[in-house]
Amino acid sequence: MRAVTITKGKGGFGGPLTLVPDATRNKVVSVTGGGIHPIAAKIAEMTECEAVDGFSTGVPDEEILVAIVDCGGTARCGVYPKKRIFTVNVLPVGQSGPLAKFITEDIYVSAVDESCIQLADASAASAAKTPPKPGEAGAPKSKAQAKEEIAKMNAGKEKGLITRIGIAIGGVVSKFYAAGRETIDITIKSILPFMAFVSMILGIISASGIGDVIANTISPMASTLPGMLIISLICGMPFLSPVLGPGAVIAQIVGTLLGVQIGLGNIPPQYALPALFAIDAQVGGDFVPVGLSLGEAEPETIELGVPAVLYSRVITGPVAVIIAYVASIGLYS
Amino acid sequence: MEFIATLANGFISLFQAGAATFTGWVTGIIPLVVVMMTAVNSLIKLIGEDRVNGLAETATKYTVTRYTVLPVLAVIFLANPMCYTFGRFVEEKYKPAFYDAAVSFVHPVTGLFPHANGGELFVYMGIAAGVTQLGLPLGDLAVRYFFVGVLVILIRGIVTEKIYLHMLSKN
Repeated sequence: MRAVTITKGKGGFGGPLTLVPDATRNKVVSVTGGGIHPIAAKIAEMTECEAVDGFSTGVPDEEILVAIVDCGGTARCGVYPKKRIFTVNVLPVGQSGPLAKFITEDIYVSAVDESCIQLADASAASAAKTPPKPGEAGAPKSKAQAKEEIAKMNAGKEKGLITRIGIAIGGVVSKFYAAGRETIDITIKSILPFMAFVSMILGIISASGIGDVIANTISPMASTLPGMLIISLICGMPFLSPVLGPGAVIAQIVGTLLGVQIGLGNIPPQYALPALFAIDAQVGGDFVPVGLSLGEAEPETIELGVPAVLYSRVITGPVAVIIAYVASIGLYS
Repeated sequence: MEFIATLANGFISLFQAGAATFTGWVTGIIPLVVVMMTAVNSLIKLIGEDRVNGLAETATKYTVTRYTVLPVLAVIFLANPMCYTFGRFVEEKYKPAFYDAAVSFVHPVTGLFPHANGGELFVYMGIAAGVTQLGLPLGDLAVRYFFVGVLVILIRGIVTEKIYLHMLSKN
């Protein structure tokens, strides 16, 4: 028997897991709606273990090396991690469902395809290796035997047309579902908290009379081209832009304040377009090194790239405002 | 007693304006954004990242597409902040300019595709809320924001490229 390492696939979560089979813990259980999933077959083949269809055969927990699931994020993905059984999900599902808290990186890996499965490195593999004794009861099976058994198990279960359509629809639906979950996640984690704190600030501003001060100072500035050019120059200054950048919090607050003034009629609505660029000359000024390293840039590129981007903003910040000003002609008139 | 009650009312009224704003946002902005984001997120999952990669690689060859098509694809398909990983397709000397173009598009994109930068919606939404309050439609503003954004990132990409290459030659 051999150990394998399974890493997460594109958009996946968790892992890498190293599976080390032994004399008792040697069943690869496929809990994927009947039949042996190709990933389960692949893992069984590589570990030289037995693949079992979890829907038709019950397997004692202590014999399960790993459970393969195709769970869209409700139940199965959490059941096995809760029992501390290694779990491989073939769908890109992270910590979700009622059992989300049990889904941790040391027990669970998702979005797994065949390229994610590799033999574990030599030390782990040799430690796990036990000499096979063919013919003995309960002895580990050879690769050929394992393959044969899987074929036998899948024989007579040739997937019918309806099953295949069902699986295809299931795949599409699970993607829609994942998209919905992602959306709700970001709504709860980012959009709602922002709304909460900004509406609190706005409320206090309008109730306390600071709103009138803003109306009298910022509004006249944001309703002329020179005023907006000044705003963009300030935002784009190389020593200010990295400070103003993080999370676009400042741009978002200023945007909301300007929105209030537009709503009150203090700033004409067509100025919305150039204003959007004026308050955003600093965008990403704080993030240059991180963004460049995400793009796999060399350290030397990052070193010179940071000032290059920041200097560029001094020019392109005001230029953007002028373009937007021209483009706003005819807007809301 | 009456004095304390007045004080309490004053205290509560300080937050009533904020509460009204919050309700307005939650009922006015969130439902549309949630449905739009879900739709685009599903579409992107169905198309798959792999199928965009080929197009992205072709787009790096020409200056114009490198600072328009490539960052727009990156931002729409990978969203902020993973969009910057498309930098790996770009030649080393163009990476700072590509980053500048991509990052400058993460707000113009939100008018039409809020999913691409869900955490920073209010640069656009904040200003747009005022326009909505006047009873004006947002479509025109969102479309113009998007296309002016494309033009601006092209200019920004070219200018940053020139500045970076100049600094590089001096070093």
